[in-house]
Amino acid sequence: MSTQHAKKANEFVKLTDVVDRHDATFWAVRSKRDRMAHEVPEWEDLRAAADMIKKHTVTHLADYLGRFAENARRNGVQVHWAKDAAEYNAIVLDILRKHDVKKVVKSKSMLTEECGLNDSLMANGIDVVETDLGERILQLLGVPPSHIVMPAIHITREQVLECFRGHGIIEKNGRQAADSMGGDLKTLEAEADPTFLTRCARYHLRDNFMTADCGMTGANFGIADTGEVVVCTNEGNADMSTSIPPLHVVSMGIEKLIPDYKSMAVFQRLLARNGTGQPTTVYTSHFRKPRPGTEMHIILVDNGRSDILGNADHWQTLKCMRCGACMNTCPVYRRSGGYSYSYFIPGPIGINLGMLRDSDSHYGNCSACSLCCSCDNVCPVKVDLSTQIYKWRQQLDSMHHADPMKKTISEGMKVLFDHPGLYTSALRMAPVANVVPSWLAGLAMKPWCEGHDMPVFAKKSFHQLWKNGLKEDSQK
Amino acid sequence: MTTEEIILSNLRGNVRETYDMPTLSFGKLQYPDPVGAFITAASTVAGASVIEAREGDDINELIRKAYPEAKIIASNLPGVKADRNPDEVSSPQELDGTDVSVVAGTVGCAENACVWIPQTMRQRAVCFICEYLVIILHRKDIVSNMHEAYMRIEMPEMGFGTFISGPSKTADIEQALVYGAQSFCGVTIILV
Repeated sequence: MSTQHAKKANEFVKLTDVVDRHDATFWAVRSKRDRMAHEVPEWEDLRAAADMIKKHTVTHLADYLGRFAENARRNGVQVHWAKDAAEYNAIVLDILRKHDVKKVVKSKSMLTEECGLNDSLMANGIDVVETDLGERILQLLGVPPSHIVMPAIHITREQVLECFRGHGIIEKNGRQAADSMGGDLKTLEAEADPTFLTRCARYHLRDNFMTADCGMTGANFGIADTGEVVVCTNEGNADMSTSIPPLHVVSMGIEKLIPDYKSMAVFQRLLARNGTGQPTTVYTSHFRKPRPGTEMHIILVDNGRSDILGNADHWQTLKCMRCGACMNTCPVYRRSGGYSYSYFIPGPIGINLGMLRDSDSHYGNCSACSLCCSCDNVCPVKVDLSTQIYKWRQQLDSMHHADPMKKTISEGMKVLFDHPGLYTSALRMAPVANVVPSWLAGLAMKPWCEGHDMPVFAKKSFHQLWKNGLKEDSQK
Repeated sequence: MTTEEIILSNLRGNVRETYDMPTLSFGKLQYPDPVGAFITAASTVAGASVIEAREGDDINELIRKAYPEAKIIASNLPGVKADRNPDEVSSPQELDGTDVSVVAGTVGCAENACVWIPQTMRQRAVCFICEYLVIILHRKDIVSNMHEAYMRIEMPEMGFGTFISGPSKTADIEQALVYGAQSFCGVTIILV
């Protein structure tokens, strides 16, 4: 009866402390986002503009991509096209092999996650080092992200300490980290101090930046007019990854394109405010040409995006800029955690993207929505997230994924609602259910009752009250 | 057909209706005193320090006063006393261990304390690899919002530029805000 999401969420909610912390963390981010939005008087104008710019760009995408690629080539950048994950992974491997790359430092990219790049590279003997702190922690722990912007938010400092110990990072970099803070190593380690742990990672990653043969980044935006890509980070890891190694490989989903700097200003103002509740990311870096004496490659990845454009119900997912706000605000995400979803992107946008990727594998996520529509109201580009989830649910039956129990109940309700006489007599009988012991009612319809409480029926229906009221009024 | 042709023709075939580019003519956040607003944003939420240089102040003295313990300073700016020059090092790795880098910003933005740093040096690693970053910015180059900033920035010949707002930071471990993630741990902006 339960969907895959419901089953996993059911396990997650047993950890009440974890759920409370998860919920509070993301609600705090949502609150910060609201404060940021309210500080900008033209906030709604920005959202409307962002929506229109994206609609314009994705419906003229072939032209803009052509212009982007031409400008990038003119800038001395090598441009590649990949229709799917396999072609993308092969192109990356080919570039890296030509440069005899042994180690890659990589800044956070959801696209590489989508395409399974890291596994592909490591299977081919190339060392991949994630350089975003959260991503690095997850990579060392061997677990996937639970959020697209704050991927390791569910991991405790004690777990981080244990992980760093296990990988020899405390032993190797702990002394330098403690010294940089002017603190005592033993105390800082015993407290699993977040600053100490961050500094340990800083020196551990610094060693990797110095010795890597290639830096890889994603792209938050591609600008058609200039052929450049824009990468936004707080840690500066994309800049470290690309200013030291002699090779920079950019992986960009084709929907990341925007026309020009004027558009970029709109998105720059929205992205961090809406995603993490900051007025800006620390770095908004524009990469237009390779560094002197080095190479820069941009791989434009389709992987299903050009098909989504033709999908009347779901093409607007192409507007998404992966800010994460829809998951932060989602009451289901906040209380069920990222791992309850089968797709690697959780929350409202992840439900839709997962269905577009492979509905047989991800239809179980469609139940993870109360249709409260909060996501629609925070989305900076106005993706119609909840409407899309509603539409998927309507299609589950034709996909043969409808829940048989819900189907029976729904059909029963349809009979009831289609026949007013039957409806009225059923309603008159309803208060009888109040005296049925709940264990008996529960026994009779057990699977349905998990997740559905028996309501207390009023002694008189609204219809009866209404009619009586009219009578009383006329007697006055 | 090449992959490029397949993707582009699929995109062309899948467009159902088209939308126009919006005019972006809405009113944009304006500060009566952009410089004052910039200083507030930089020194609070962005976590940077701001020094307002006065007529006759010596830049090198201001840097020394801000970072008295700095041993290695890197810069290619004329008039800045430096131990390393990012135009002359033979590899970016040689810049590791830099205490303070000094760079020039060309546009500052009051709404979020972003400063545009164009790459005007051979090794841009100098902007990120240091423990502390000093940015020199003219007051007259401060604008109210990012729309104005994007109108004013210029991409240098080197083909790289970045908006920087305060020191590198992370909250990836239990949401605890920590300055000094992978790049510089502190920023001082000298307004001239």
